[in-house]
Amino acid sequence: MSAGLVGCTSDGAPEEDPKDAVIPAGDLADQSGTLTPSNPTTLTTWITSAQQAPAPDNKITKLLEENLGVTLKYEIVTPDAVDQKIGVMLAGGEYPDLIGTTDLKMRLLEGGALLRLDDMLETGDYPNLATHVEDDIKKMSYSGEEVDPGLYIFPNYNRFYGEVTGGTYYGPAFWIQKRVLEDAGWPDLSNMTLDRYFELIASYKAKNPQTDGVPTVGFEVLASTGREWGMTNPPALLAGSPNNGGVVVDDDDHAEIYADKDIAKDFYQVLNEQYDAGLVDRESFTLTFDQYTAKLATGAVLGMHDQGWNFQTATDSLRSAGKDEYTYVPLMPVYDGAEPWYADRPVMNTNQGFGISVSSKQPEKAMKFLDLMLSEPWQKVLSWGVEGEDYQVGEDGMFTRTEEQRANARDLTWRASNRLEALLDVLPKHNGQFSDGNAYSPDDQPAEFFATLTDYDRGVMEQYGKKTWLEFMNPQPENPKYYPAWNITLSDEANEVNQQLTDAGVQNLPKIIAGDPADFEASWKAYVDTIKKIDVEVYEDAINAGIQDRLENW
Amino acid sequence: MTDTTVTTLVAATGLEPAPEPVSGSRAPRRRARTRAPKEPRRKITWDRIKAQRVLLLMAVPLLMYQILFKYVPVYGWAIAFQDYKPGRGSIWNQEWVGFENFVDLFTGVNGERFRRVVINTVGQSVLTLVVGTLGAIVLALLLNEVKNAPFKRVMQNITYMPHFLSWVIVASLASVALSLPSSGGFINQALLSVGLVQEPVLFLTEPNHFWGIVAGTSLWKELGWNTILYLAAITAIDPSLYEAAEVDGAGRYRKMFHITLPGIRPTIVVLLIINAGWILSTNFELPYFLGNGLISERAETIDVFVLRYGYQLGNYDLAVVAGIFKTLVAIILVGSANWAAKRLNQETLV
Repeated sequence: MSAGLVGCTSDGAPEEDPKDAVIPAGDLADQSGTLTPSNPTTLTTWITSAQQAPAPDNKITKLLEENLGVTLKYEIVTPDAVDQKIGVMLAGGEYPDLIGTTDLKMRLLEGGALLRLDDMLETGDYPNLATHVEDDIKKMSYSGEEVDPGLYIFPNYNRFYGEVTGGTYYGPAFWIQKRVLEDAGWPDLSNMTLDRYFELIASYKAKNPQTDGVPTVGFEVLASTGREWGMTNPPALLAGSPNNGGVVVDDDDHAEIYADKDIAKDFYQVLNEQYDAGLVDRESFTLTFDQYTAKLATGAVLGMHDQGWNFQTATDSLRSAGKDEYTYVPLMPVYDGAEPWYADRPVMNTNQGFGISVSSKQPEKAMKFLDLMLSEPWQKVLSWGVEGEDYQVGEDGMFTRTEEQRANARDLTWRASNRLEALLDVLPKHNGQFSDGNAYSPDDQPAEFFATLTDYDRGVMEQYGKKTWLEFMNPQPENPKYYPAWNITLSDEANEVNQQLTDAGVQNLPKIIAGDPADFEASWKAYVDTIKKIDVEVYEDAINAGIQDRLENW
Repeated sequence: MTDTTVTTLVAATGLEPAPEPVSGSRAPRRRARTRAPKEPRRKITWDRIKAQRVLLLMAVPLLMYQILFKYVPVYGWAIAFQDYKPGRGSIWNQEWVGFENFVDLFTGVNGERFRRVVINTVGQSVLTLVVGTLGAIVLALLLNEVKNAPFKRVMQNITYMPHFLSWVIVASLASVALSLPSSGGFINQALLSVGLVQEPVLFLTEPNHFWGIVAGTSLWKELGWNTILYLAAITAIDPSLYEAAEVDGAGRYRKMFHITLPGIRPTIVVLLIINAGWILSTNFELPYFLGNGLISERAETIDVFVLRYGYQLGNYDLAVVAGIFKTLVAIILVGSANWAAKRLNQETLV
C-alpha cells in the first residue's frame, strides 16, 4: 500500500493545466494536480444504493471541494428501481461520468456503457486502483461469454487488505428481536430449528399482542419484486447449503434448482401452518420494500428471514431511537442433520462497484477521483470521519471514539450531514485493515466495535458469552472455488428462464403460504406444475457451465 | 388531443360541408356539426389553398410534430426482428433473426403469460372506460340539477381535485385505503362497522378484485375532470327545449332522459372514441404500483410485462414486439368504437 502512496506523489502523472494547478497542503490533496480547487471539477455520478443523498451542508462534501475542487452531482437509485433505470439508460446511451452499480446481469458492461479500464490503469497514474484490482483481475473481468477480459468495474466490497476483522453480521439469517430472547430467558441458540424459532415468536406474541400501540407481527415475509429472495432463498440455507441464489450445488459442483424440491416444500409447509396460526403477517405479500422497512422500523416485527444489509435502514432508525430491544439477533435454523452454513467467507463483489462511463468527457478526472478516494487518507475520512472531530488517535496509533462520537455515528440526521453514505456504498474500499493496523471502519475495529455497543447489547452479548454478532453465526468454511453461483452472468435466454422461475415463485408461494393448510398439497402441486412448464434446464445448464468455467479459469 | 384540434381546424377552414339550413328555431345546435351524408367532396383548388394559406401554415408545425414524434420513431420497430444488443452502435448494425421474437412471445411459457397480459390490458381498460364514462355522465346529470350555485361549485372542485395528483400518490393512497384497519385501511373499517364483512378483506391479495380496484381508483381520480366536458355540453343545450317540455308537462326525470341525455349524446360518443384510443397508454401506473406477485395473473398489463421482461432484463427486442402488439390492440379498440358509433349513426372521428 505504501508503494501506492509513493506512486501518488511521483511526478509521473501528466498535469492537465500546470500553470493553474495550485495544490493544497495536506495528504488529502491530489499531488498530481489533476484535481485541484484552482481547477474545479464537477463529476456526475449515478449510484445504486438504499442510502439517502447527503445533506447540502455535508462536511465531507466540503472537504472534497476544498482539497480537490470536486463537486459531485448525485443521481441515487434504490436497488428495486435499478433494473428499469439501467434499461432506460442503456436505451438512451447517455451516461454520467461515474456509474456506481450493483448490476447483477452485467447489462451496463455488455451494453457498452463503461470504459475499458486496463489501458487507463497501465498508464500508472492510478496506483491505488491498480493495487486494488491487481490480484483479482481475472476473476473480475470474467463473465462467461459476452464481456471482454479487461472490462470490469471496481468492486465495492470485500477486497481485503491486511487481516479480515468484523463485528456486525450482514449476511442471511432468520432474525429475531432481542426482546423475544430476553423474555424467553436467553434460550440456547445452538441447534436451532424452524419449529423452535417459531415457538419463541409464538410464545412472545401471545404475551405481547401489542407493540407501542400497534399489533405485534410474528414473522414478516418480504416478497416485493427484486427482493423476493427473502421468500425464496431460505430452503437452501435450511438444508445447510450456502447462499448460491436459486440453486444448490452438490459436492461434485453440480448445480440444481431447489424451488420445486422437498427442502422447499418443507419450509413452505411450516410457513403455511404458521400463517394459519396467525404468526405470519397477513400483509406480507402486498408490502413494498419501503413499507417493509417502515414496518420493521416501528419495532413491531418479531422476526423475518433477510440479509442483514437489506434492513440496515430499519436497524439504524431503531438504534437512533434508542430501542435496542427491538433490534435483531441473527439465528440459523436448519433441518435435522444439516450443518448451518449461513455465514460465508466474504466474497468480492465482482459485479458491483464503480465504472467510468463511455460518455464521460473527463474520464481521467473521474478515474483520478476514484483513485484518490481509495487512498488511505481519504478512506479514513470516508469511513471514520475527521480526526479529532469524529475519532481520536490513541498513543498506540489505534483509532477510538468518545461516547458522543459514537452516538453521532448512530444518528441518521447527523450522518446525512457528516458522511457520504450513498457514495461510500458503491466506492471501492479497504475492507480489512489500513497499513497502520486500524480496521477499515469503526464497526470492524474489535475494541471499538465492542465499545460501540449499547449497554443493552453488551448485556445480550454477555448472556451468550460472545464478543461480536458475527460469533452468533457458524464458523465460515473455505468457499468453494466457483462461489457464489448467484453472480454468474447469464445469457438472455437463461435470464428469461430465471425470471420466469422467480415469477412462478412470486405468484405461487404467497398462495401456498396464505392458503388453507388443507389446500397445501394442491397449491404445491400447482406450483410444481408451473415450474415443469418452464425450461429450467436452460438455466441450470448456464449455471453449471459458469461453475465449470470458473473452476477452470479462476 | 391533437385529433380534436385537427377537427376543429378543419371545421374552421370550411372544408366541412356548410351547415344544413336551419329547419326551425328549436333545432338543437349540435346539428351544425353533423356531416351531411351524401354531399360530394368539394374540389381543392389553388385559389382555395391561397385563401387559406395562413391557416394551412398554422397547421404545418402540428403536422411536423406528428411526423417527427409519431411516425419517425416507428423505424425502431426493426428491433422486433433483431437480436438487439445496445452496445453494437446503430440499430442497423444488429443481428437479424426474422420472426423469432414473435414466436418467442406468442408461444410457450411466455405465450401463456402474454395472452393473460393482453386479456388484463383490454379488460382493465374497458372496465375503466365504461365505469369512468358512466360515472361522469351520472355526476354531470346530478350536478346539472343542483340549483344552489356555491354548493355545485364546491362539489365540482372536490371531485376534480384528485385529477391533479400523480398516479404514484393515488396508488399509495389506494393501497393504504385497501389495507388492514391497523394500517389505516378505512375501507375495511367501514365495511366492518356496517357489518358487511366479518373479517377485514385483503383486497390486494385477491386477484379477482383487481380490475375493479383499477376501475374504482381511476374513477375516483378522473371523475370530476371528465364531468367538466359533459357539463359544458349540457350548457350548450337550447333552454327553449326545456321550456317546451315543461309546457308539455314533463317532470325533472323526463327532461333528463329526453332532453339532456340526447343533447349530450354526440359528446359522449366522441369522448368514448377518443378515450378508447388513449386508455391503453394509461394503464401502466396502477397495475405497476398496486400489483404484486400474488395477483399478477389479473394485474399484469402489456406495459408492465414490457417493462419487466423487456427493459429490466435488457431484452429490448421482446419489449418492442409486445409494444407493436399493443399498438395493434389500440387500433382495434379505436376502430371498433368508431365502427360501433357509425352503426348507431352517431358522430364519428374518422
